[in-house]
Amino acid sequence: MDRLIVTVVGIVATIGISAIIFYGANALFDLAETEFPWFNTAVGAISALTVFGILWGNRILATPILATVIAVAVGAATGYGLGIVKDKRTRLYVGLGGGLALGVVAGVFVRSPYWPSIDPVAAIIGLAVGGVIGFLLWSLTGRKHDLMPRLMIGLSLGWLLGAWLAADFVLSLDDDGNVTRIEGGGTQVEAIIAAAVLGLLVGAWIGSVPFPEKIRRAEITEGSRKYIFLAPALLFVVGTLVIPLARTIWLGFLTGTPTNLEWTGLTNYGDIFTDPGIINFENWTSMFESRLFWGAVVLLILGVFLGRWMGRSGGTGLGTGFYFGAGPLSLLTGGAVLIGFAIFVAIRGTIANNLWWIFSVIIFSVSVGLAVAVLADRSKGENIAKSLIFLPMAISFVGASVIWRLMYVARPPGDTQTGVFNALWVKVGEWSNSTTASTIIVAAIGLVVAGLLYLAWRGWQADSNAIAAGSLALVVPLAWLAYRFLGPGIGGFTTNSAGEVVANPVIFIQTAPWNNFWMMVVLIWIQTGFAMVIFSAAIKAVPEELLEAARIDGATESQTFWRVTIPQIFPTIGVVVTTLIVTVLKVFDIPKVMTNGNFDTQVLANEMWERAFTQFNFGLGSAVAVVLFIGVLPVMFINIRRMQRERLG
Amino acid sequence: MTATQEKPTTTATTGNGKRPLGNRIYGFLRSVPTWALWILVILWTIPTFSLFVNSFRERDAQRSSGFWNAWQDNANGFEFPTLNNYQEVLFPDVGAGLGNALLNSASIAIVATIIPIAIAAFAAYAFAWIEFRGREWIFIATVALLAVPTQVSLIPLLTAYSQGVHMTIPFIERTITLIPDANLAGSIPAVWLTHTGFALPFAIFLLHNYIAGLPKDIFESAYIDGADHFKIFRKLVVPLSMPVLAAFAIFQFLWTWNDYLIALTMIGGNREALPATIVVASLAGEFGAREHLLTAGAFVITIVPLIVFFALQRFFVRGVTAGSVKG
Repeated sequence: MDRLIVTVVGIVATIGISAIIFYGANALFDLAETEFPWFNTAVGAISALTVFGILWGNRILATPILATVIAVAVGAATGYGLGIVKDKRTRLYVGLGGGLALGVVAGVFVRSPYWPSIDPVAAIIGLAVGGVIGFLLWSLTGRKHDLMPRLMIGLSLGWLLGAWLAADFVLSLDDDGNVTRIEGGGTQVEAIIAAAVLGLLVGAWIGSVPFPEKIRRAEITEGSRKYIFLAPALLFVVGTLVIPLARTIWLGFLTGTPTNLEWTGLTNYGDIFTDPGIINFENWTSMFESRLFWGAVVLLILGVFLGRWMGRSGGTGLGTGFYFGAGPLSLLTGGAVLIGFAIFVAIRGTIANNLWWIFSVIIFSVSVGLAVAVLADRSKGENIAKSLIFLPMAISFVGASVIWRLMYVARPPGDTQTGVFNALWVKVGEWSNSTTASTIIVAAIGLVVAGLLYLAWRGWQADSNAIAAGSLALVVPLAWLAYRFLGPGIGGFTTNSAGEVVANPVIFIQTAPWNNFWMMVVLIWIQTGFAMVIFSAAIKAVPEELLEAARIDGATESQTFWRVTIPQIFPTIGVVVTTLIVTVLKVFDIPKVMTNGNFDTQVLANEMWERAFTQFNFGLGSAVAVVLFIGVLPVMFINIRRMQRERLG
Repeated sequence: MTATQEKPTTTATTGNGKRPLGNRIYGFLRSVPTWALWILVILWTIPTFSLFVNSFRERDAQRSSGFWNAWQDNANGFEFPTLNNYQEVLFPDVGAGLGNALLNSASIAIVATIIPIAIAAFAAYAFAWIEFRGREWIFIATVALLAVPTQVSLIPLLTAYSQGVHMTIPFIERTITLIPDANLAGSIPAVWLTHTGFALPFAIFLLHNYIAGLPKDIFESAYIDGADHFKIFRKLVVPLSMPVLAAFAIFQFLWTWNDYLIALTMIGGNREALPATIVVASLAGEFGAREHLLTAGAFVITIVPLIVFFALQRFFVRGVTAGSVKG
């Protein structure tokens, strides 16, 4: 119960404070137009608070609370003064007075280790440089502002550099902030002088800004909005994305422990690309020995021939002489899948795994998602079907991994299999070893094959080559299945030394390299819903007139789909693919929960995490993160180009 | 798959009255695509359903047979359905103490949903309706960061949370503290900050698409009536943008509730602050003894997104599609 209260209070307080800060900022700038003195008072107080807050945070102040309270009071008073005084000369005096007072306060409260020993040469050089900067600031902005304030900004910066930052300090503090070594160093008088001069310069800058008239004040209110509206967002984006990104790139060039990093150039990248665990081409020739590869070659050749043959009449081939339809495309897709798998089974390592993830998830999610979107479109129960396919999108990767672990469970051979896949696989094994069962199954397959052949014949007669080709293509795996049942057997069984047939489940998660694919299935299961929803929206957005026109011209439904719908949703396919690339590239949770990168299933995101947060090798971890980042760069580039086209014309 | 989707769309040669056998077979085969759709739907549902069923089964029942045998549990001397797993996993004195973790998850998800919405809505409005120099480029740069993987920020952010941000000024070798050490690492606020930052590019993109599409007239007439941007935002833009705000809220809630990586990195070993996903994932890490709790645990962390999903599916789908189709 206590925890509940603490949680609720925490939530309410965080949201409330954020809202008050934001609302307060807007309300404050409302005052600029109507109640200028009070606006100025608040600005003075907040500026003093900011400066002293920074000093406080850097542990420069001796009694920080007292110093800050005094400073805020002085700042508020100065702000109020400048808010009511309109005379030019008096304003300068108010500014100088306020600045001097703040400077003296700062100088008095600076802790002894930070008393500077002012180097006159450095101070003068600093002032000179600052003066030049101020002058340039004024002349480069077209000289439309007064010279005096710009010059004073420059001089303040110059003095800050010359008198404070270039000076010798007592310094050398230990971890608790105590002085351990005393040398050089200045006196408090010097500290007060250095701070007072800075205060005077800043005061002169503020005091030389003319009193804003009514119109100018309205502009302040109006102009403040864009800053207030954008500041939090940009602050967060820069603070959590831009700067960390830059720092990670920098860290990628360093090696060593987190507290002692040294520049070693490209060493980390060298380590990554020579580590056989990360990329390993050693067995790439085994690709040509795999049945996958040759199966792929056959499918690809068939696909190309079928496409050429079906597109021989020319009219439907979009001028390429190739028929872009279900038959050739499914053959080509099948070939691409097999060849991809052949490659990724032969070339191993973290990077290869990541590429394999991208390859599989995109091909399967896009094709299944598109298929579901088309099948469900305007069919009965469309919404139920779609929402059930989409449902995994709402489930966490951790939850999904647990769910699929249950599906993949392998119990010892003698036990009842409790995982769906192994239960089925072992059952199939039993069937193929029983004459009755395999006879029934083969007979059933025979019936289906007969039906398919008939369908192919009808399709042929109706001049619908796609149906003919599709049906024929389905016959091949079925025939193969029948052969396995009759001949060598199929399923989860093995023969032991005594010649008995025993159950033999597949250890899905631990057997490399295919365990990678079983884990990809989890993400495919999740992302298909995403692809489907987007394709579905795109299909429904295809203008009805276009479809109608195609039908009137005598196109069949199939032709309408391939010639009108697909080209219309083609850009959407691109969007889905780029989104998927980004999602898949950073997949982390699934391998982490299912194998933690063991059994040859490491991926870049997990590799990065392991290196950085279990081995505390920040340099190598960062370098892996940079590799990931380079992976998304093309996607980023495409997105930027697209937005440029849309927004800048 | 691609082969079957072809079939429903081809016009059949239909005969009137008595149809010959061939046509009937043809007709039957042509209904295959509808079947295929529902078979796919069933395949897609089985995994979730199996988790649901197993979470109500006793430990030994789960271990001795698959979920499809649940209806026989009572005959085999097991209790089904039973809530024991849930009791064990939720209350700390018995099992994993998922109860506390659920509170943490709620705290993370609620704050990390509301704050980014507020911040992004203002920014989206500014990008859409306030003129300023470099607007297009700042917008494009912000949204381009959408693709940046979280991983590139983790190390610097964690260092910043645990040690503050310090910078050494080149040439004069003075180190100054930009953000003092707030000791945020291991706490929920660290997760809030991180989620907020990472959510913004997408949030701004999504909300901007919508807010920029609002009719221009209403802004102009409000402006003539003397309303300034802040007032227009509160009185006009927020009420009109409710659908897209809801869409993003659901999207972000699910994202933060389901998050594992950021919480794992930022909270790490602080058991008190761990969200439910991490507790369940660590249950998955220990094989054996408490494996049966995993089903109940996983279902508990899944049920919240599922409720949100079924109750507010329309908005969720809008959030997902608006981000992609328009873009």
